[in-house]
Amino acid sequence: IDPKSLPRPLDGDREPTSVLKSYPLNCHPRFLRLTTHAIPNSQSLLSRWHLPLGAVVHPLAEVPDGEEVPVVNFGSAGVIRCRRCRTYVNPYVTFTEAGRKWRCNLCGLLNDVPAEYLCGLDANGRRHDIYQRPELSKGSVEFVAPTEYMVRPPMPPLYFFLIDVSVSAARSGLLEVVAKTIKSCLDELPGFPRTQIGFLTFDSTLHFYCLKSSLTQPQMMVVADLDDIFLPLPDDLLVNLSDSRHVVDAFLDSLPSMFQGNTNPESAFGPALKAAFMIMSQLGGKLLVFQSTLPSLGIGRLRLRGDDLRVYGTDKEHILRVPEDPFYKQMAAEFTKNQIAVDIYAFSDKYSDIASLGSLAKYTGGQVYYYPSFQAPIHQEKLRHELARDITRETAWEAVMRIRCGKGVRFTTYHGHFMLRSTDLLALPAADCDKAFAMQLSLEETLMTTQTVYFQVALLYTSSSGERRIRVHTAAAPVVADLGEMYRQADTGAIISVLSRLAIEHSLSHKLEDSRQLMQLKIVKSLKEYRNLYVTQHRLGGRLIFPESLKFLVLYALSLCKSVALRGGYADAPLDERCAAGYSMMILPINRVLKLLYPSLLRVDEYLIKASGDFEETTKPLPLTAQSLDREGLYIFDNGFNFVIWSGSMLPHELVDNIFGNLFAFPDISKAALCENDNDMSRKFMKILNRLRQKDPSTYQLCYIVRQGEQPRESALLLSKFVEDQSAGISGYLEWILQIHRQSQTS
Amino acid sequence: MRRAIGLLPENALVGLITYGTQVHLHELGFADISKLYVFRGTKEISKDQILDQLGLSSGGRGLVKGAVQRSGMPMQQQQNVMGSSSVNRFLLPASDCEYTLNALLDELQPDQWPVEAGNRALRCTGVALSVAAGLLGACLPGTGARIIALVGGPCTEGPGMIVSKDLSEPVRSHKDLDKDAAPHFHKAVKFYDNLAKQLVSQGHVLDLFASALDQVGVAEMKVAVERTGGLVVLAESFGHPVFKDSFKRIFEDGEGSLGLSFNGTLEINCSKDIKIQGIIGPCTSLEKKGALCADTVVGQGNTTQWKMCGLDRSTCLTVFFDISPSDRSNPTGTPNTHLYIQFVTNYQNSEGQLRLRVATVARKWVDDSSSTEELVEGFDQETAAVVLARFISLKMEVEEEFDATRWLDRSLIRLCSRFGDYRKDDPSSFVINPNFSIFPQFMFNLRRSQFVQVFNNSPDETAYFRMLLNRESITNSVVMIQPSLLSYSFSAPPTPALLDVASIAADRILLLDAYFSVVIFHGMTIAQWRNLGYQNQPEHQAFAQLLQAPYDDAQNIIKDRFPVPRLVVCDQHGSQARFLLAKLNPSATYNSAHEVAPGSDIIFTDDVSLQVFCRDNGKFKSELFE
Ligand SMILES: [Zn+2]
Repeated sequence: IDPKSLPRPLDGDREPTSVLKSYPLNCHPRFLRLTTHAIPNSQSLLSRWHLPLGAVVHPLAEVPDGEEVPVVNFGSAGVIRCRRCRTYVNPYVTFTEAGRKWRCNLCGLLNDVPAEYLCGLDANGRRHDIYQRPELSKGSVEFVAPTEYMVRPPMPPLYFFLIDVSVSAARSGLLEVVAKTIKSCLDELPGFPRTQIGFLTFDSTLHFYCLKSSLTQPQMMVVADLDDIFLPLPDDLLVNLSDSRHVVDAFLDSLPSMFQGNTNPESAFGPALKAAFMIMSQLGGKLLVFQSTLPSLGIGRLRLRGDDLRVYGTDKEHILRVPEDPFYKQMAAEFTKNQIAVDIYAFSDKYSDIASLGSLAKYTGGQVYYYPSFQAPIHQEKLRHELARDITRETAWEAVMRIRCGKGVRFTTYHGHFMLRSTDLLALPAADCDKAFAMQLSLEETLMTTQTVYFQVALLYTSSSGERRIRVHTAAAPVVADLGEMYRQADTGAIISVLSRLAIEHSLSHKLEDSRQLMQLKIVKSLKEYRNLYVTQHRLGGRLIFPESLKFLVLYALSLCKSVALRGGYADAPLDERCAAGYSMMILPINRVLKLLYPSLLRVDEYLIKASGDFEETTKPLPLTAQSLDREGLYIFDNGFNFVIWSGSMLPHELVDNIFGNLFAFPDISKAALCENDNDMSRKFMKILNRLRQKDPSTYQLCYIVRQGEQPRESALLLSKFVEDQSAGISGYLEWILQIHRQSQTS
Repeated sequence: MRRAIGLLPENALVGLITYGTQVHLHELGFADISKLYVFRGTKEISKDQILDQLGLSSGGRGLVKGAVQRSGMPMQQQQNVMGSSSVNRFLLPASDCEYTLNALLDELQPDQWPVEAGNRALRCTGVALSVAAGLLGACLPGTGARIIALVGGPCTEGPGMIVSKDLSEPVRSHKDLDKDAAPHFHKAVKFYDNLAKQLVSQGHVLDLFASALDQVGVAEMKVAVERTGGLVVLAESFGHPVFKDSFKRIFEDGEGSLGLSFNGTLEINCSKDIKIQGIIGPCTSLEKKGALCADTVVGQGNTTQWKMCGLDRSTCLTVFFDISPSDRSNPTGTPNTHLYIQFVTNYQNSEGQLRLRVATVARKWVDDSSSTEELVEGFDQETAAVVLARFISLKMEVEEEFDATRWLDRSLIRLCSRFGDYRKDDPSSFVINPNFSIFPQFMFNLRRSQFVQVFNNSPDETAYFRMLLNRESITNSVVMIQPSLLSYSFSAPPTPALLDVASIAADRILLLDAYFSVVIFHGMTIAQWRNLGYQNQPEHQAFAQLLQAPYDDAQNIIKDRFPVPRLVVCDQHGSQARFLLAKLNPSATYNSAHEVAPGSDIIFTDDVSLQVFCRDNGKFKSELFE
């Protein structure tokens, strides 16, 4: 086999928009993707599939300008829903009896059309007003929910910041970056003029801040009784941002200097968390936690569990990856119940038990941001961008999400960050455009009789403007009797997304090795099934064959095995980094997972020297192998989270001087920050970086500069991430393919 | 407070605690924003816990409530204290924190926690005092310091609580205490007693400024104030001159200064012929037992050494001695003719210098069998009356079912029978030495004073009166027992008048000094003239002077007194007149209304009048002794 001929996803994720050709009334695949757009009609067919059957839902995915989800207000008619299964009216419902009844496409019930919603039908049985009504003509709509959809008045957007100010936070320069970033975002927080804000800092004691609007400066109130947490004030710990803006500004201005010389090494994180809960519990909102130290005092204090070499490969290995103290899960449950979403920003240079801390985000619809060994001069841009994104992006508050499906199929498992309330209701204290959810389907009956299965995602939430909304995405998929059709309609992106989540969850109760093997087994079985389907009829003998739709699957799976979350064992990734990567992958939308698994490698020296031309047209991504690197070249490696800038040893001086200035004179280049120099080449280069960053605003790629041969950084940052190459005892692409091939032929 | 801080010496260390539902300890040394430590009001908190929470566990320094510490320590010691960076957080030299404190006082707000309907405001005075004491203990042990507690209502939660927050529960009265129906009383007293022990061991003072219409728990807190030698002021509100002027006084320097001194110890040496029973007054027994201690204990006893955390120019102690039953002879075998007592007082004066004051007195023994003449000569009626008042107050507090009136009568009778001259069966023949002449009158007034007739007052008031009785000079204490009355008229210079309704006349002004209050009482005619504005007319200058004279005299009384007395100006038949009438002898009760001269007042009361008292005692005496 010629390695060059192997399939490579150099263009990244391809949304399966072709579905819209056959199902134009479906929602756009950016909102919902099935692992295969063909639902097996029987249990026996499904049992031959071996890959996950399910969906990846990204209900608030960002849309290009002009494709905004239309907003529908039913007014006095109320939201039109099926009386029996509660499905929302959608383009697939049918109207009968001169428009007086409508039939639910999910359960088949004939519903009455309310008088206010009545409309005549044309000869084809379609309503005359169908094109005036987005809910009858578009797969995605947003309904304005009337008061029945509120258990309380819609909450205001609320941001509460819980900031560790112990010695490590003070020394790393973190506080200044956090304070400045928050301050710079105050005008852009959603929900003006209702937005609420509050702060709590802590080390060995808790520091509350009274931000009452009548004060000229905030008042700091220290509570040191960690056994029995209480609030120092009944109000004003959480204030209306516009009323108290000057006090909030004053607080953020003082924050860095207040703790400048702090030498307190302790962290009363658990008590601080409880206090934050007490402050927020009335309203709910977003809790942003900035943690620099392992929680060491009071309830929820964590042990330095360490990453014990001896545990790896034993049955106890996974315990390190799950929270040890039930406190965190209990708190998460309380948070969710009170509509509080927790984002964890972790910065420690030592073990800080991300496994435990992250569970707060996991069950509250939150997110884990990890900046190990944070140092402001190096990492501040990334933190600044990501924190700003977190607090300024449009957020859906106090949300619940349910995905309904037609008769015969049922969603059985859900994977992502949320709390499952009842069997199929996902509680999401906050939801946003950067989080996707995965779920698996099972067949309820042995044989399906319907031709089509419908899915409907409904996200009920409060908008930042204080309106209760229901975002509804509806999609139809054919029921098939043919395994081949399932393969043809397979969506590698969705499959990998679900597989990655399943593998990470599996690794929380099993050895890493077992999780990898399980995934490998699924792929082998699937390919074997495919072989069986075609080998005999096409007499392909021993050749390796892929369904076209799954041609990148094997490579992605290999990459998944090499991902930080799942790779190797003890020595292959620090425990905290591994856990953080796991939490991160559990929420990523499909395109970002794929980018992470197969980053782009771009050679830029030629473009920089050449005068003009469009960068993206002239520069194509390269295979992820060391062979792609030329010692006279300059490369950008971009996994969507970070850049690695690799400079070949023979890179022309002109480029070195222009791009890097005197950076290479630095004793430790890892501490050097790349900045724009006063020359065209440098400007051009920085422009490229910015363009790459702009492609995905949800993250900020930090630049790591590596020179060829600079060990061990070159290996750690780049070479080990060339998934096609053999590394750390895991095969390279070619061996992997052969291995899978072999396995799919035997037994 | 702002004014007070301005009056402090620059190097005096100052700290601030505010409290309500919770306790706020302000960190005055925090530069960036205003910062305070919060303590839960419901939970008893130990000194160690306080220090732990403040991060002062390894020998830091802390602060106090509205508190001030007169910079009383020698320079070197002060530097040691300042050397620890922690002290700068809570206790700052007045000159360094004046700005911060003023800013803080500007933004100071009432407790933010809501008061539920039907409830009292939550007030955790006990925890606040614990925090203050804990901090001072950590920061300045053995150095003069005072906690100045400004209390605006009863402690309603946590340790030291005197009444529950539920408004349907009234604050305990003397009746409740009598019937043992005050559910929080003993617990609270125990708490303040422990606080007192802590403060005494640290050498620190608790001053109490109670300013509320309702009781705040002076009765319970008395032990902590009295044992530490603290000042006590009871006012109706923080806006009342009694509070404002008194509060200012403690910070005043120079002539008006109270001469506040700190951290004293008193030691008594005496001839072995007498034994020490104990002391009533603002001090605490240091339990230094020895041969000089009597078996019977009065007040702070079982010791020859007492701690006086706070003392000042007017501090007065009552020492009780017992005559030793042992042989009164010296080593040579001849009887001692004299006995000696030496008072050794060690203290830190208001300038911060350490002083040792020694006072030695000698007294001659009078032989029991010889004539009583010498004994009578030496009798000091005023001191005796005060000592008796203090003694009887103590007995009323510690002995259940103690009948003070009866005990007083019996004492007087015993005295009369011993020192009076009379013929058998003829009360009218009774005469007593002039050295005893006004003593019965003192007893009469003591009998009907606030010290004995406690039911007319609240327990807080009683505690307050007694604390002052126990610590003031003899002259002042006598006025508390028997107010003085001056009469002003055109016909005569100001003259002392009888404490009797008969002294009231339409054309007179009376000036009553009842110690806690000073009353200017205008007779009916005087009031009418004044209302007509005669005093403003040049031809009636004499009237203007007459009107002014009692004011000037009242101001003279007030300016030397701490707490500043309440000044009441009233007219005959006006509602405020009760302040005078309550103190007058009811010679003209309704029993004898017909004898009353026109223009005088009648007091409707069941109190016996002085005449009746003397007559009855004469009769009583006859029955007992003949
Ligand atoms: Zn239905």
